[in-house]
Order: sequence, then structure tokens, then C-alpha cells
Amino acid sequence: MAVFNIRNREIECKIVYYGPGRCGKTTNLEYIYRSFTKQVSGKMVSIDTDGDRTLFFDFLPMGIGRVMGCDVRLQLYTVPGQVKYSSTRKLVLKGADGVVFVADSMEIRREKNMLSLKDLHNNLKGYGSSVFKIPLVMQYNKRDLEGQIPLMSIDQMKKDLNAQLKVPDFEASALTGNGVGATLKECLKLTLKSLQRELKWTE
Amino acid sequence: MKKNTAFSGNLSFLSLADVLQLLGSNGSTGLLRLKTPQRSEVGSIYLARGNPVDASLGRVRGLEALFAMFGWINGEFEFRLEDVTCENVIQKSRMEVILTALKMLDDGEIETVGMAEEQDGEASLDDEHFAVVPVIKGPLIDYWYIVDEENFEAGTKIVEQGKHGNWIWVILEGVVEIRKETNRGTLPILRIGNGSFVGSLASIISGRNVRSATTVAVDNVQLGVLDSQRLANEFAQLSPEFKDFLASLDRRLRQVTDKAVEAFEKSGQIEEFVARQDPLIAQGAHVDEGFVITQGEAFVVRETPGGDVLLADLYRGDFFGNMSFLDIGHEPNAAAIYSSKTLETRRPNLEVLEREFNELSPTFHNFIEHMAHCITATSAVACEFMKKKTNSP
Repeated sequence: MAVFNIRNREIECKIVYYGPGRCGKTTNLEYIYRSFTKQVSGKMVSIDTDGDRTLFFDFLPMGIGRVMGCDVRLQLYTVPGQVKYSSTRKLVLKGADGVVFVADSMEIRREKNMLSLKDLHNNLKGYGSSVFKIPLVMQYNKRDLEGQIPLMSIDQMKKDLNAQLKVPDFEASALTGNGVGATLKECLKLTLKSLQRELKWTE
Repeated sequence: MKKNTAFSGNLSFLSLADVLQLLGSNGSTGLLRLKTPQRSEVGSIYLARGNPVDASLGRVRGLEALFAMFGWINGEFEFRLEDVTCENVIQKSRMEVILTALKMLDDGEIETVGMAEEQDGEASLDDEHFAVVPVIKGPLIDYWYIVDEENFEAGTKIVEQGKHGNWIWVILEGVVEIRKETNRGTLPILRIGNGSFVGSLASIISGRNVRSATTVAVDNVQLGVLDSQRLANEFAQLSPEFKDFLASLDRRLRQVTDKAVEAFEKSGQIEEFVARQDPLIAQGAHVDEGFVITQGEAFVVRETPGGDVLLADLYRGDFFGNMSFLDIGHEPNAAAIYSSKTLETRRPNLEVLEREFNELSPTFHNFIEHMAHCITATSAVACEFMKKKTNSP
């Protein structure tokens, strides 16, 4: 649910990075925060939650023009992985306009990826949405570890996670920034498209 | 509505986090006041251009006051447009405040005030003995072990007491009632909801496949069939000590259920447990250790306003004490342990057990926690009879 801020002529969209613990959600956001300084507005909020950190900041994407005469402001969030942070997760996921699912390419995390995706689906169902409805982009992260640690092949990850969904997917290395921008850009594109569809539908 | 009120409503509909986000994205300046029936003080939050700058709650001020209000689950809020001239005591941005507060709430650092998660209108049962049978909700469902899904219409029996079967299900959607068939008719013991399990550990532990209770769908229920072969394989790989611990837990659940049934059959005339000596572990005592019985007997007894209630008899091989990693709602906090004269025990290695518990697959882990919740809730049912007895003339 994007918020239209009439006073500032802005549409606020919420994009959430979801994925199993230590898959690189925060690394994705940290890279964006560091590399696109001109487009970041305000400070990055970082909350230490058990297992990983929960991040949040505002982002003003450039070069996408205006939507319905309004600028677009993105709120980027990561979701804390641990089950006990239900209030935080609820706040972050509620009204999410787009989701980036960050999957860990490490072979030993295969089960964790699948569980997390199911978990996302479950959580979204609580808000009347689902992984099939929400604008979703899949990222296969940590490809830079190829040759150092046993990784799953892209084909296998696609089969595990994206066979049913068939959403746009990207290989990435959040640490080096490879694929990070492309993932966000695609998610933003899908989110805006879906917003436009929704708006026309209600007109 | 008072004259300069710009925005007001109910906290159980719109939480403080939501209200602050709305006012925040609107860039509002003014005073947000909160009331809850559980507190005499009214809370005030001052906002300047959408960000909280100060707050007060009774004598508490600033961030501390603001954080405390995140625990208010019900109550009212009211926002007035006002010039805010107070000092900027809270230096954090609103999102930082909100995310930090919710994290603290989830970590239990902020006290929840008001009704905790209502059992959303579960129909109360028309049974003379229970106003409401407790509904147990399970943790997040782990889909990894589910091999099939099954649907049951409201009112249908899922399993029948005394019949054979060893399937274990996890409830995906809906509420299920567990009933015991007794000499005095049917006794509803518990209702369990999403994420809870139908079936018993006994079928995995000992291959025993006689159903110990009847399970009925209260509303339309969707169940996930668990891969019992995988659960059995996982069980087989556990250490002997942990297997013994699980077997003891299963026995404890049966014992508590039997005590409830016994009380029910005797028309609620549960016998008071009369202690002949001081307890080994007093109810509410501080205990760090666990014990395994090597000889003799022990008794789990809960002190209630109506008298002492025997919840379980423990025998050789049973565990008791403070199993800090799993709360079954008994000793030491909510029950005492009495011992027979011949009782001898040894100490299990709790650290090893805890590590093993934490390494279980999510499904197995959830299953064990579900058993612990059932023990807690069934004990409450048994004690209910004691209360009934003292209430009646």
C-alpha cells in the first residue's frame, strides 16, 4: 500500500528485503546506502536484532520520472529473521509494495532458503497478499564465493525457489555490489507497474 | 470530539507504531495523547514535523516514556494540532524509534499492557465443566516435513480414541478439539490451532499406534500430513539421554491427562494431595538443576487456592527439575516435587540436552514445544476441578 503524500507530491513505496538469516539482506542495503549517496535521504537506521540487523532508510530513485505527477520515495527495509521478532516483522511487511527475496547460494543453506520463502508466503497471507501477487524479485546472493565454498548451481536454485513463482531473478554478490543495483531496479520497476495497474483499476 | 482534535481512534485497531508512521509521513506537528484503561496516567508524545521530540508518561519523560507506550495494546489515541515548543529531547528519527521499540517489545524489554493476544472469539464450549477450553496456537509452520494436505469439515472426527493409527499432522488452518472418552462421557480437554500438532510422540518413540484421545475438527480444518519416516529417522539419531527425556515428557503429558480424566470421572471430586513430608522442590523455589529418577517415585503437585493437586507420578527414568530450555508449566515455578522415601536420582547433563534440543529440525522442535504447551494447559484443566470443588457449597 503506497502512501500518497499530497503535500510533498510524493508517493512513498515500501520495498522489503527478505531472506534467511545471514543471507546478505543487510549487506545489500549497506551497499546501496554507501554507493548511491546522492539518492539516499536521511540517516540509515540500524537496529541490532539477534542474529542479524534490521536496517531502514529512505531512497529517492533517479531517472524514473514522476508517477501521477508525484515523485517516488522508496523506504527500504530488511526484515529480522528470527521468529520472535514478530512485531518488527509485522510492521515492516505490512503494506510492503515490493519484496526482494535474497537467497543464500551456499549449499548448506538450501533448506533455510526454502523455509524462509515459505515463511514469507505465510506472513504475506496474513495481510491478504501472497508471493504470487506481490511484486517480487529473487536474488541468488554470494556468487563471489564460487570456488571457495560449495555453492548451489543457479539452475538448482531456480528449481528450488523460482520454479513456481517465475519472477525475475538475479545472480549477485552483495559484498562487491555485483547485481545489487540491478535487483533493486527490477523490483522498483515491478512495484511501479503494479501500482499503476492498481490505480487504473480503481479509477 | 474536542475542538482541535485532528485525528483520533482506537489503539487496538491502529497501533502506536502505525499512528506514528501516519503522522510522520504527513509531517505533522502537534500533541499525541494516549490513554489505556489499564493505566491511570495519560501519555503525551510531542511531534515536530513528523518526528517525536519529547514524551511524558506520569513522571517518566523522553524516550523511556515513549517506549513504554508501545506496549499498550488497547486504549485510545488523540492527535491535536498545536505548536510544539519543547526542547528536542528525543534525538532519534521516528523510524529508528519505532523499530527500536518493536524490537524491545519482541525481546520482552517493554511490558505489554492490556489484553494479550485474544483467542479471537473461539466459541466457548457448552460443557458444564468448562467455560472455555483453552486454545493452543503453535509456532510458525515449517512446511519442510509436510508431504500431503488433508481437509476436514467442521464436526468430523480426525482420529478416534482406541483406534489404530500413527499419522502425525500439523494444523495449517482451523481449530481442533482433543477429547477423552471417559466413563462419565466425553471430556473436552484442549483446543489446538494453527501450527499445533495432532498425534503423539509415542508412535515415534515406541511404535505404539493406539490413539489415546479423540480429535474433532471444530471448524473447517486443513491439516498437513507430516513425513513420519523423517521424524522417526531424526528421532533415531538422537542421543539415548535425549530419547529418554522425550519419553519422560510424553509420559508426563499422559499422566496429566489421566489425572484430569480421573477428576472428571469422580464428578470433579479430585482428591487433595496430602503431603507427609516437606517437598523436595518447593513450588516457586529457585532451582537450576535437573534430575533423573534411578529408583523410587516422585510426585508433581501444584498448590492451588483450593488445595494441593497431584498432577503426575514420576517413576524410574523420568526427568524433573528445572529444564530451563523447555517450560512445561510445572516445577519449579508452578508445581512442587515430593519424593518417596526410596527416591534416588542422578543429574543429567542439561547443557548437552539443551544443545540437542536447539539442534532439532524446526518441525521436531515445534512438536516438542507443542507437547510442553499441552502439559501446561492440561494441568490447568485438572486444577480447574479443584477450584470447582471448593466453589461449590
